[in-house]
Amino acid sequence: MSLSATLPDAATPTGGAPAARPRRHGLKPTANGLPWILPAVVVVVGLIYFSIGYTGYVSTLDWNGFILTEPTFLGLANFSEMFGDPVFWKALEHTAVFYVVTFTVQTALGFTFAALMHSQVFLRGVYKVVVFVPTVLAPATMAPVFRQIFDADGQLNTFLRAVGLDGLAQTWLAGGTTAMAVVMLATIWQWTGLTFILFYAAMSQIDTEVLEAARVDGAGNLRTLWSIVWPMCRGTTVALATLGLIGALKTFDWPYLITKGGPNYATEFLGTYIYHTMLSEKRFGYAAAISVALLVLALACGVLMSLRNRREGRA
Amino acid sequence: MQTSKKTLSGRRVGAVAAVATASLLLAACTPSAMGGQSGAVSGDATKGSITWWGWTPDANNAEKLIAAFNEEYPDIEVEFVSKPIDSYDSVLSPAITSSDGPDVFNVAPGSANGGVDTFGPGAIDLTPAVEKALGPDWASKVSELGVSGLTVDDKLVGLSAGAVYSGNLWINQGIFDEYGLEPPTDLASWKQVCDTLEAAGEGCFVQGAGQWAFDMDTFEAIVENIEPGLYQKASLGEASYTEGDSGQKFTQAMETWKSLFDEGIMQDGAVGLQQYPDANNEFMQGKYAMIMMGSWYTQYAVKDSMVTAMEAAGVSDPEPITIVPVDFPDLAGTGQVGNMFGDADYGLAVSGRSDNQAAATTFVTWLSTSQAGQQSVANTLNNIPALHGVTPDWDQIDLVDPAAQADVLSAYSEQAAAATQPRFASVSSELNTAFRDALVGVAGGDVSIPDALQTLQGVVDAE
Repeated sequence: MSLSATLPDAATPTGGAPAARPRRHGLKPTANGLPWILPAVVVVVGLIYFSIGYTGYVSTLDWNGFILTEPTFLGLANFSEMFGDPVFWKALEHTAVFYVVTFTVQTALGFTFAALMHSQVFLRGVYKVVVFVPTVLAPATMAPVFRQIFDADGQLNTFLRAVGLDGLAQTWLAGGTTAMAVVMLATIWQWTGLTFILFYAAMSQIDTEVLEAARVDGAGNLRTLWSIVWPMCRGTTVALATLGLIGALKTFDWPYLITKGGPNYATEFLGTYIYHTMLSEKRFGYAAAISVALLVLALACGVLMSLRNRREGRA
Repeated sequence: MQTSKKTLSGRRVGAVAAVATASLLLAACTPSAMGGQSGAVSGDATKGSITWWGWTPDANNAEKLIAAFNEEYPDIEVEFVSKPIDSYDSVLSPAITSSDGPDVFNVAPGSANGGVDTFGPGAIDLTPAVEKALGPDWASKVSELGVSGLTVDDKLVGLSAGAVYSGNLWINQGIFDEYGLEPPTDLASWKQVCDTLEAAGEGCFVQGAGQWAFDMDTFEAIVENIEPGLYQKASLGEASYTEGDSGQKFTQAMETWKSLFDEGIMQDGAVGLQQYPDANNEFMQGKYAMIMMGSWYTQYAVKDSMVTAMEAAGVSDPEPITIVPVDFPDLAGTGQVGNMFGDADYGLAVSGRSDNQAAATTFVTWLSTSQAGQQSVANTLNNIPALHGVTPDWDQIDLVDPAAQADVLSAYSEQAAAATQPRFASVSSELNTAFRDALVGVAGGDVSIPDALQTLQGVVDAE
């Protein structure tokens, strides 16, 4: 396998004089433009920032969510309850573990697939489709399949028993650790395709001269991947890490559809806990408080990762 | 200057539009007591077009009920819109604050979806309507559970069309006959039945213990077996989960609950499954001989309903199976069996924002208080009728195996109608969640029995 044999020419300019700054004729901001941008402002402010602000307001209430029911103002009581709620902390812990495992595995698989697809693999176009297809499938359609496979009488246990590995057969969705593993597996199965596509695109941008130079210096395939390709895909990795973190904080569909957050909160995430608190318990105020915490966490994580990326970029 | 005027005009337009938009959003979203009720019902009582939203009955049965209603009131057009129970609250909440929403909507007692505590403010008081239909002693003519469960602060939010009861098992008679088995009557015979079935490669008892509402049914059945009425007393704070004699009995009940898992009566991986669809599908596929379901399962004794249910469970070209209700086994050895518990399955409420309140009230009253309406409800076998004295017309019902089912189901309906203990009506949403933590936690071994009972007591103490 040779990476340099198939990587296309670099599309990124590597030298030359800096481009002239674009002229800004006609772009001078004037107050006359307000009516033109007003629809967008109304949509963004009305639908997003208003909703965020309103969620903040609801987080101070004891309210069942029905508009005709008078809420009771609680101040910050929902937040103090949240900090003392073991399920909230358990959900955060699950999020952290989930993020580390899914991001690591997806990155390893996505990077490996991308590297393989840049080599001379037979039917690689087919493999690309096969790897990417799960990304476009809705979890709602695939969750029953995962439930069936990992059922106590499901295909996995049937297979294990058929090949004499009865000892490994177990009630996958009834155990806390194994249920979480199934949720992670489903997530990895779905999102590895996207990771692969982004790494594949990033690798396509690497100047073949760099790879050829590495070859001339005697670097083998693995050495080239590790010391040349991987560092040059750093921007993609950082973007995936940021998206993955925010995605982990917002995780809802797979755990809800496969385990409903159970058994006994073993696969509870902030998203599923908010949903459960809001719709089953009808505690909109408390659910809003957790939503605010989720928003703050997502923003903080995004900013921290961005700052770290900038600092490392400068270094 | 011309430019300045245009700029000012633009700013003014923008500001006005922004303020108007924000005001609309605030008006739409700010929680407030908007009333929604009027003293007199609006519209014509004998004609009009009304919309009915609910998670139950299923569409076929709803059409049957509406057809029967239209025989008496041909000028009132009723459209039933089925809404999934999981999202019922979220779709109903905005809808009934608008005159474009449903005229009639389902409500449920206690902490279930569509709860009367939540949606009561959006409905009119139906006391005058039921008084007019049944007279001043109306309360004695209908199920007490249906009235108490659907009343909030002396306001009759919904009229119960019928009730559902739980506290029994359903068996696949074909499997029992095939292996010459009798329904279990105690823990030992239950284990024996399971051992026999499992040795033959059949599933014994299936429960989706991850869906804790059904765990609560099983647990309440155990408590009813130990001391009838204790479950309700404790949920109302009149008995302790942890202290004294009642505390010992709840400890015994929780140990019995745990033993169902430890003794292999519950299928492997029960806490990883939901009752619907998982356990229901497994039973309908004929993979298990027993399941914990309530009176709503009676409808599947009917041939075409059973075929439909089996097809929905993934069985192709199904041969309908014969299901029969049996008493929950005497696990505590007290001899107190056959105690059922239930709530109004759904109450029919009339929206305070409906433009057709009179026609809607006519429909609701007819279905829940008239002999013809209640007979229609009874014949669906989905609910035990709210009106006393109405029973299914078995001659009109096409059972899968009349010889095996007719007498048993008839007795079962009477047994259920005589129940006085509530199912969820006395359980708050907080206690409901605490039951989830306690029952699933104990079943999975994550929570000790004393801790589980302390969790329940803590919730009741805080209420």
